[in-house]
Amino acid sequence: MIVSHNEIVAMVYKAFTGMHREVGEADVIASMVAELEMAGLDGVRHFNNASPYILTEQDTPIDIVHQETGAIRFDLHGSSLICHLPAIMDYALEKMGDLDHFQIYLMNCHNRWLAYSELVKLADNGIACLAKWDNGTVPKHTLLTLNQGFVYPDLYFFNEPQDNYNTNDMIIELATANFDIEQEIEHFDHKISTDELFATHQRSWKEGIHVDDEQWAILKKTAAAILVENSEASSKGAGGV
Amino acid sequence: MNLVHASNESIDVATLSLRSPDVVMNAERLGAMHQTRISFVRTLLRKIDREKWTLSRHLWDLDDNGYGQVIYRLQTPEYKYHLVVFCNELADDERNDRVIAQKWDVTFGLVFGEIGQELLDNLKANVPLQEAGRNSNMVMVLARANKSVRVFDHIVSALADGKQPDLDVLAQVGYILRTTAVYGNGKFGIYDFKPLDHSEDFNQSFRAQMCAVYLLREFSLDWVDFLAKKKGGSKTVALHPEIKRYLGIGNATGLGMAPYLINHPCVVDQWLTTREEAVQATLVCAIEAEKTEYFESLLKRAIQHFTEIVTINEQQATLNATVVAELTSLQSALMTTIEDYTIWAEFLQAHNHLSFESQEVIISCLMELYPERVDSFQEKVNADENLILPKGKVIQDLLNVLESRYQWAITIDFNEPENSYWFWYRSVDKEEPRMGVRGQEPGDDRELSLDIARQAKNLYLALQQADPQQLISEFMLSKPKYRSIARRVWTMGHKKMGDIQMNVLHKNAPPMHLLRCKLSMFGATKFDPRSDRWVRITLFQGAPLFSEVHSDEWLFPLLPNLSKEEPSIKESSTQ
Repeated sequence: MIVSHNEIVAMVYKAFTGMHREVGEADVIASMVAELEMAGLDGVRHFNNASPYILTEQDTPIDIVHQETGAIRFDLHGSSLICHLPAIMDYALEKMGDLDHFQIYLMNCHNRWLAYSELVKLADNGIACLAKWDNGTVPKHTLLTLNQGFVYPDLYFFNEPQDNYNTNDMIIELATANFDIEQEIEHFDHKISTDELFATHQRSWKEGIHVDDEQWAILKKTAAAILVENSEASSKGAGGV
Repeated sequence: MNLVHASNESIDVATLSLRSPDVVMNAERLGAMHQTRISFVRTLLRKIDREKWTLSRHLWDLDDNGYGQVIYRLQTPEYKYHLVVFCNELADDERNDRVIAQKWDVTFGLVFGEIGQELLDNLKANVPLQEAGRNSNMVMVLARANKSVRVFDHIVSALADGKQPDLDVLAQVGYILRTTAVYGNGKFGIYDFKPLDHSEDFNQSFRAQMCAVYLLREFSLDWVDFLAKKKGGSKTVALHPEIKRYLGIGNATGLGMAPYLINHPCVVDQWLTTREEAVQATLVCAIEAEKTEYFESLLKRAIQHFTEIVTINEQQATLNATVVAELTSLQSALMTTIEDYTIWAEFLQAHNHLSFESQEVIISCLMELYPERVDSFQEKVNADENLILPKGKVIQDLLNVLESRYQWAITIDFNEPENSYWFWYRSVDKEEPRMGVRGQEPGDDRELSLDIARQAKNLYLALQQADPQQLISEFMLSKPKYRSIARRVWTMGHKKMGDIQMNVLHKNAPPMHLLRCKLSMFGATKFDPRSDRWVRITLFQGAPLFSEVHSDEWLFPLLPNLSKEEPSIKESSTQ
């Protein structure tokens, strides 16, 4: 079905709010999902996949397991990345300061695709970004690069694991100059270019956003958890007729 | 330097000394606001006039009972749009203004571009269903309206009998049709607001919705003329143009509007900041005799307007009576007392003992005196809605913001039951927002997070336990649950007006104030609360008709005086 950007934002906002997590910001998460869906990258499906994890997560802060000049390593304890990444990026950018390069290593996290919008936001700060992660299934490796001056990244997909990262980890590198990725992308199997993402975004605004019916139904069901059943008292709560 | 260009001068906004947010964002004052020159309905009509938009009937396919479909074509310098209206038979017991209604007298949409048969079929199948339908994203506004049956039947019968309707009947209501929801911005699959950024026609908040309502008013007037003609034949008269101007479109608004104001704080700040800047651009002007005379005439009109308003709400009736008494006293001595002041700011300050309603009437009237200064602010109503935390700032910086801008929140003791008496939630009935009593009604486990005051207080308490020199970003890693409210406090605490200063959980916090604030920004008139949680108002009441649209003021609608008959009133207004 075709939905609007505002519908996705509103539905995810309600769905996340209904999960009653202390950690995680509904407006930010709604934007993360909508941006990914606008790019044609299945934001709603990724959020639906994340929902069971989010529902069972503990509302605990993450740990810094190692920190040195130019690098930091977090342990997310199996949490969904969407609840923590905005705070992580704030902290990392602060620590990066005037450095040319900074590496963030995220251990034990889920739903890494949903990092997309937070990484794309870096373009506003004039910072180049490279992010990569391995998966248990094909594509076994994903690499995202965002060059300075570009609004959208390039995405590279690999059918084979590249560096044998833990499949629950993610690496995000920030730099004040563009990354030289020639060697890293030597064996990619599929690419979505920044131009393609731009075109998809434009099309989504103009024609609406195609979302899988089944995935939309799942999201709606999750969002309904916040609704309160009707009653006589409830009806009066609107002020009466 | 932030300059606003008035017609023949530039106003340096930075030099305008605005009133404190504690004054402007006080909920009770917001709940007394009235239409001004830069309310959205006023801005829209000036744009229509300036750019010479045209309106024509594209299709008029109604049966003798007035059921069927109608299409109006709106042509702007930029594009073509259509208002598509479906009229359905509705039993009296099915007519319900609440959002939970399932059927309406009239459903309509404002549609971008041409209407082909396929699109028309799609609209016909979905627009009458409203929330239950799935509309094309060519639809920019989706809405519905119910008749004021009493006014509708009376007008049609009178005109069919060759008479004009009884003004006393019209004064009770002020409209023929009453909208019960006007959806825009992507709701139910329609067009998002964001891509309208590039539209010269509808790039401002709620302009498309206001336009749809204005065109519906044209339809409501054409509709009664059509039905009267069907009923009365040759003896029928057309509705008098003065009466047409007097009739606006009604609107029934409930709690749904309140969460919008709380969830879009940057938009609210932008609206109130722009309004305040326009007020100040007026207040700095020296008082001149010519302007004083005009001001006095507007006060007279306001007094008559508030004398004529009919409301069933006793509290509002008392407030209106107070306005009449206060402004009558003010107006009768104005020409003498005005000599005590050199600029309007002094005049307003000297009258801050009056009721908020009267003070706000004065502000609306003053803004009419200087269109060349005030209208230049009309475009500044959109806002970047990002709520952000700063780099390089520490806990003490955030505490400073809370202590300087959120005193209204951090001084509240939420252990006192009355301070968290209500909880807000959404019902399964079309997700309608509702209020419940905490601890007495079910649903507080699914409470909406509209409790900004309580969240700000909790943040303040948590920050007081932290190292004042700790980086905010570091604190948020260890206490992530405060990041959301911290973003809001930091961002809104650095805006000129910031958050609305209201604890919506308090036992005596009337949500009506929030509704009134937003509706007055739209340009609503005739506030008629039907309970403490929903209100009927009119839009475009007193406004010029499309065929005669002009940029002059039309503040405070008055009952027409038909003693001076116009020679020809046989034709309907829209051709």
